[in-house]
Order: sequence, then structure tokens, then C-alpha cells
Amino acid sequence: MKKRSGILTACLLTVCLLSGCGSQERGTAEITGEKVFYYGDTTFNAENDEKDVNPHNGYSGWACIRYGIGETLFKYSDSMELEPWLAAEYELLDENTWVVTLRDGVTFTSGRTMDAEAVKECLDHLIEVHERAKGDLKIQEITAEGQTLTIRTREPVPALMNYLADPYGCIIDMQAGITEDGNVSGTGPYRATEVQTDVGLTLVKNENYWDGTPKLDMIYVRTITDGDTMTMAMQTGELDAAYGLPYSSLSLFANDPYTISSVETSRSFFAQMNYATEALQDPNVRAAIAGAVDKEGFTQVLLEGNGSAANGPFPESLAFGDASVTAQSYDPEESRRLLAASGWTDTDGDGYVDRDGETLSIRWLTYPSRQELPLLAESVQASLKEIGIQVEVNCTANHLDFIESGEWDIYASAFVCAPTGDPEYFFTTHCLDDSTKNRGGYHSDRLEELETQMSGTFDPDERAALATEMTQTILDDNAFVFAAHLKMSIVSGEGVTGLTAHPCDYYEITVDLDKN
Amino acid sequence: MAGRKRKAGRAAGYKLLIFGILTLCVILIAVFAPYLTPYDPYAQDLSNALQPPGPDHLLGTDRYGRDMLSRVIMGSRTTIFSALLLVAIITLAGGAVGIVCGYYGGKLDSFLMRVSDVFLAFPGMVFAIAAASVLNRGVLNAVIALACISWPRYARITRSQVLAVKDAPYIMAARLSGSGTWKIIRKHIIPNIAGQVIVTAVLDIGTMIMEISGLSFLGLGAAPPTAEWGSMMSNGRSMLQTAPWVILSPGCAIFLTVMVFNLTGDTVRDFLDPRYRGKRRRE
Repeated sequence: MKKRSGILTACLLTVCLLSGCGSQERGTAEITGEKVFYYGDTTFNAENDEKDVNPHNGYSGWACIRYGIGETLFKYSDSMELEPWLAAEYELLDENTWVVTLRDGVTFTSGRTMDAEAVKECLDHLIEVHERAKGDLKIQEITAEGQTLTIRTREPVPALMNYLADPYGCIIDMQAGITEDGNVSGTGPYRATEVQTDVGLTLVKNENYWDGTPKLDMIYVRTITDGDTMTMAMQTGELDAAYGLPYSSLSLFANDPYTISSVETSRSFFAQMNYATEALQDPNVRAAIAGAVDKEGFTQVLLEGNGSAANGPFPESLAFGDASVTAQSYDPEESRRLLAASGWTDTDGDGYVDRDGETLSIRWLTYPSRQELPLLAESVQASLKEIGIQVEVNCTANHLDFIESGEWDIYASAFVCAPTGDPEYFFTTHCLDDSTKNRGGYHSDRLEELETQMSGTFDPDERAALATEMTQTILDDNAFVFAAHLKMSIVSGEGVTGLTAHPCDYYEITVDLDKN
Repeated sequence: MAGRKRKAGRAAGYKLLIFGILTLCVILIAVFAPYLTPYDPYAQDLSNALQPPGPDHLLGTDRYGRDMLSRVIMGSRTTIFSALLLVAIITLAGGAVGIVCGYYGGKLDSFLMRVSDVFLAFPGMVFAIAAASVLNRGVLNAVIALACISWPRYARITRSQVLAVKDAPYIMAARLSGSGTWKIIRKHIIPNIAGQVIVTAVLDIGTMIMEISGLSFLGLGAAPPTAEWGSMMSNGRSMLQTAPWVILSPGCAIFLTVMVFNLTGDTVRDFLDPRYRGKRRRE
């Protein structure tokens, strides 16, 4: 009897304890009849340089625009072409002067009307505090009059309007200011009421939104960095939608009531060669490596079809994309021949090629926060072994320290190569003598020459032609090996509408999002 | 009463035989792993990725198309050998410190015991994770990290055992008959305390397998593509629902091996228990 009552008490206690695990927010919402939405995301965290929603802070602009808090002057169509958003139109007066006419009737969540003065204050602050924006925009002076904004640049910046559509260009009310926890007043369909780095945010409807009525009363964005936890949260219905689920989980959501929205983005996975490594200074060795990477196998099997094999930095959907360039094709036989032509053969029978008694060994540096990169490393390790190159993988969160110390031969990373739909950005960040991310010390006279032309060319078609030639130059040199373009997927649960993946990777929560 | 004891003694003998054979089998699999694998455990075959268990691949394949059975067999080598190496290191190092402390006593004893107190004060696994992170990835580094935190227990056990025997009449006799310190330790102390230390060591092998696999699971032990059970489980983690064999195969291997070592340890302890030992000798 005593034993039984003990068990009963234990059961009761467990039930009481577990009842606390249910979502209190959900319960409250059901009572008040509010529409509440739960969104899971992997990226809102300090590791990604997205600490808050202040667009003037690192990459936090991505969070600002993703969660429908801020909007930019222009936005991208599905084919990454510029469309008006907060601005109605623009005009190029001369090489250095742009006139932007703003849309009427837009207000910030602070209640202030958005006019040219407000935009000027925002952009002035942006170029004052944000190094990347300052370098991209090269703004000398901004003048404001009514709804007309005149921007004068120090030198011609043909892609200026594209750069202003980068998430850092979200227009916020500087008079309302930036709170201590990094919250801002934007013009988007939602405003953040609570911002917690690495945890998530709470959004409420912007009642005075200029472009329709937001359909949800409240959105909870949850940062869940562990893909498996997010998968289970999605399965149990704790989340209404999720971004960044592991590929291996996507098949679990292939059927009703779930829907998956996928789109190819310009986020590319690629490797750059370190020209300080003697063996990699040999074009044959670089070509052999480029030709030994099984890109199809990587995208179709390891990424489970959630990506496409890449030639260059830009996906096929762009005018200057993969369709217009050719890369070293996958051919291990040819790679072996190239190695042999440079004197690398397996003389000691250990399975690895050697020359002058030294085995050809490559230190492959990468990092784990993008789940695809360790997979790429391990797959390359096996395929380079096929042609006799030994690969030591160093997959570490400290990758930047290793870059600095020079202890690497090939560095594999993920990068959104055309975040603004314009090709110049990739080359200026990665391939030129003064590029900050040209970690391998690559140099090409031809590329420098083409970039000089590009920086003065305004016509989009001419820019596309130049970009194609520049891409072909780096591919001919095999300075970079592009493995895949990421397909971004958002999974929506039952009754969720209006959530579609966009090729730019940063339009997610919009005024159309709804849950029935 | 005597009959029951005799039976228990005999049962312990049989159990020891059975578990001894099982342990031997596990160790032999690890030793001859390269000759037992049906496929190359490192050969990728992407066209064969994530095949469920079947006649061609008894335990299925992982996402790189590598045969899971081959990897589990090969992984036994890394996991079991490193656990054995670890236990050997901590038994010898801890034992040596314990003997020195117990036999000589004095300031050296106090000093070494305070050092061991410091190590024992840390939460074990947390300290091991910190040490392994500092030392970088690699099975050997994981072994070093775990050895750093595990030796004090052995030092304490050995020390208490030495203290118990060091003033025994036979040690006095040995000393009176002119035996040197080294000879006394080697001939009289070690044989008398070895039983208890060996039992602790054998019982610890299972725990150490778990801890090494744990560090590898966290990405601090074996680096890919090395076949190691912990890191294999970690790699298959996201596929628990879609391709469960990738995580279950190494998981079951850990479970079975740890069970065999633990039961062997228990049996050795029973077998060496003096309550049964006297009976067996008389029989």
C-alpha cells in the first residue's frame, strides 16, 4: 500500500513538473484569439555577427530585413533585378551623382514619417560606423529635400543602388535611435519588442504599415543552432516554420501538412589556394586538384540535392552565372596525368605521389558552422587520395587564427557571392591585390585590368560581360575551386502561407506571412 | 553454508571463463580488424550512400557510401586500444605515485596527495573537455586529457593499500633480513596490492571506452575520417530519423563492448574475492 502511494505521488509530481514544459505563450494566445507564429532560425546569433537587429552593426542587418523589421530603398526581384521599395525611382545625373525619389506615405514604427532627411540621417550614420558599407558606397555627401535624396560619391560606384539594397541599407529612424540591446525603428511590417542575442526575438505587428496589413499579431523567432533540435521542434509543432534545417531532415517534411520552399542562392562553397605553398604555385597541381573534386557527388549525395554543382561563384540564374563560364571538369585520370607531368608520381608505393622524396600533402582548412563544409572536406579528402594527394583536414571554429598564421594550403568557405545581384562585390572582396579576403595571395594582371574597367562601367550588360571574363580568368588560373551553390530551404508547417525562399537569402518574414 | 560458498566460487570461475573468452574475442577483433573488414572502411562510394542494412552491407552504409560493418570493426581498434592504453597509463602512473606516497609518507606524500586533491576537485568530464580542447583534436590527445583527470583515483587506492601492508610483519621481516626498498616494493608490496588495483582497472575499461567515445562525439577525439565509434555516432546524429543504422551500429558496438568489459570486471572482482579464494585453494 505504502509502495503504491509512493508510486502514485511520484507520477503526480512528474505530471506537475512536465505541465510546466507546455508553452505558456501558446496558451495565452489561444485565450485572447491572437495570431501567434513561431519561427525557428539557425542564424540569429553572435557567431554569425548577427547580434541584434541594428543594420549598422556587422551583419545584423540580415536579421533586421529577414524578420520584417527594416526595409531598404530598393529590393531584388526573383531574378535579382532591382525593384523600387522604399524608394520610388532613381536617376543618375552624372557618374558621381544619384537622385533617389522616396515613396510617400511611409512611416517608421516610431511614428515619424520617412522623408529624405530621415534617410540621410540613417545613411550618414551607416557610413560613419560601418566599415563595409563605407567601403562599398564611397559616399561623399548626401543632401535631402522633401522626398528627394541626392547622393554624391567620391568616385563612380556603378552598383551604388545595388549596395543600398544590401541588408545594411535598411532605413531606420535615427531620431528614435538604437537601444542598448540593438533594437531599432524600421519601416517593416513588424517591430521587435524584445531582442536577445543567441536566444531570439519577439515581434509584434506594425499597425501603421504602409504596404498592407500584417496578418499575424505576434511572431516569436527562436534561435536554434542545433539542427536536430530544430527538426524535432518542427515535428512536434512547437515551430510553425523553420529555416536552416539539416538536409538529412528535409525528407521528413516532404509530405503534408508540411511545405518546403527552396531556391538556389548565390551562397557558394568554394576553396581558395594558398599561393605561399610551393606545391600550389604549380598550375598543374592546382588544375589536378580542381579536376579531382567530385562536385556532382557532393551536391547530389552529400547535400542530398540541396545544391547544384558550381563552375564559378555565381549561380546559373544570373546573367554572368555558371552557364557562361567553364571550369576544370571532374576527371581523376587527367588529374593524375597533370601531376605526373609536374614530376609528382608514387615512387615509394604508399599510395601518395611524391617528388624528391617529399609526399604531396595538403592542409585543408575549413570550419564547422556551415554544415556543408566538413562534408566537402571529407569528400575531397577521399577523392584527392584517389589521385595520390594526401589531405589533412583541419575543421575548426578557430579557422581565422590559422589563416593569420599561414598554417593552411587550401581554405574552404561559404560566401554569398552576389548579395546585391551585382558581380563586382565578389571580385573586390576575394580576388584582387587589395581584397581583404584574398587570403591565398592570388594575383592576376589581367584581373586587375578588368576590375579597373568594371569600376567605371555603368551598363548592366557590359558589367555582366566583364564579370564573365573575370570569372573565367580566376577559373583558368584555378586559384579558386567552386564546389556548389546552396539551395536554401524554408519548411512551413500546417496552415502557413506566404513564406517563400528568395534567391538573395534575406527576405523571409513579409507582410504576406499568415497562419490559418 | 560452506557448500553455498563453494558453488558461488565455482560459478565465478565459469563466469570468468565465459567473459574472459568474450573479452578476448573483442580484443582479437580489434587486433585483426584490418583483416576482418569486408570492405575498405575508408573507401567512399557516393553512388552507394545511405544504403540500409542488407546482404551486401550487413550494417548498411553511411552518407559517404562507406560500409558501416567495416567501419565498426575498424573503429573497435581505435576505441578499444585507446581505452586500454588509457587504463594502462593511469594504472601505472597513479600506481607509482600511490606506492611512493604510501611507502615513504612524509612531505612528499602530503604534496602529491594535495596535487591529486586538486585534480579530484574538478568535475572530471569538464576538465577533460577543456584539456582536450587545448591539446587539439586527436585520439592520443583525448587519451592524455582523460589520463590527466583519472590518475589520482589510482594513486589514492594504491596508497591506501600500501599503507595497509607496509607495517605488516612480513615486510618487517623482509626489512630485517636486509632487503632493499626496491626489492620490498617489487617482491612484497606490489604482489599483495595488485589484485585490488587490477580489479579497479578492469572495471574502468568500460567507463574509459565511454569517455573516449564521449570526447570524440563532441568532436574532441578522433578526427575524420578515422573510424571511431564516438565520432561515427556524432556524424550520424542528424540521420537518427532518416537513416538510423548510421548511428545505431556504432552505438550498439559501444553498448556491447562496454557491457562485456564491465561484466568481466565484475567477474574478476568476484573471482579474486578472498571469501571464495580460500575455498578454491582448499578444493
